[in-house]
Amino acid sequence: MSVNAFDQESKPTVAWLWQVVTGVGLVVLLCLHIVANHFVAKGGLRDYAAVVAYLRNPIILVLEILFLVCVTAHALLGVRAIFLDLGLSDRVEQILTRTLKWIGVLTVGYGLVVMWFVIR
Amino acid sequence: MSTLNYSKTKQAARWFDVRRRKAGMWAYALNRITGIGLVVYLYLHLGVLSMLIRGQSAWDSFVALARSPFYLALDVILLAGILIHGLNGLRLAFTGLGFSVGAQKALFIILMVIGAIILLVAALKIFQV
Repeated sequence: MSVNAFDQESKPTVAWLWQVVTGVGLVVLLCLHIVANHFVAKGGLRDYAAVVAYLRNPIILVLEILFLVCVTAHALLGVRAIFLDLGLSDRVEQILTRTLKWIGVLTVGYGLVVMWFVIR
Repeated sequence: MSTLNYSKTKQAARWFDVRRRKAGMWAYALNRITGIGLVVYLYLHLGVLSMLIRGQSAWDSFVALARSPFYLALDVILLAGILIHGLNGLRLAFTGLGFSVGAQKALFIILMVIGAIILLVAALKIFQV
């Protein structure tokens, strides 16, 4: 007997709602990121000088930071959801959530450092 | 204990096995497979961006390499993953919030067709570069 996944998906939890919020944000921010960096840019990719000029625009910088935060949060919430399917105990779930939060902070921190090196 | 762990793992991996499953399970599995792929890509992408720290020559050499047909083909595969995950994710968000719950299968098919059209147009644009 086959399982109807359309009936099983997406039980609304706080984490799920955050995934929706960051996902909707990503639809907009990712479109902007791809179009600006790969479709508008000459040759499909910006050379070093063009990346520096691009990121020195304060509006672009804010949008790219928002993109970095949204994509990291969305990705790690997704990883958490997959691990939760393993039926983890409360303690392991807490450790997992804490670990993923730190990975998220480090990821965003790393991205900010890269941006800082580019625009300084 | 090992039996319990095995059964939990087996149960957790059930979504991966789409044999004899309906469209809903295909949608669910596709979303997860593309999601895992995109997480791997995200960290590869962030790793590649470290070349910006190494300076102009490192970045510009990478850009020259990334404009080769092999890398452009990888871009098309990446875009396919983004479109499948993004459009299917929008369907999940709509239906999870209680909208269009009865039309999920139709919505999935329509969004995948839209995704295929966007991918085709984008692939043509990518290889025009």
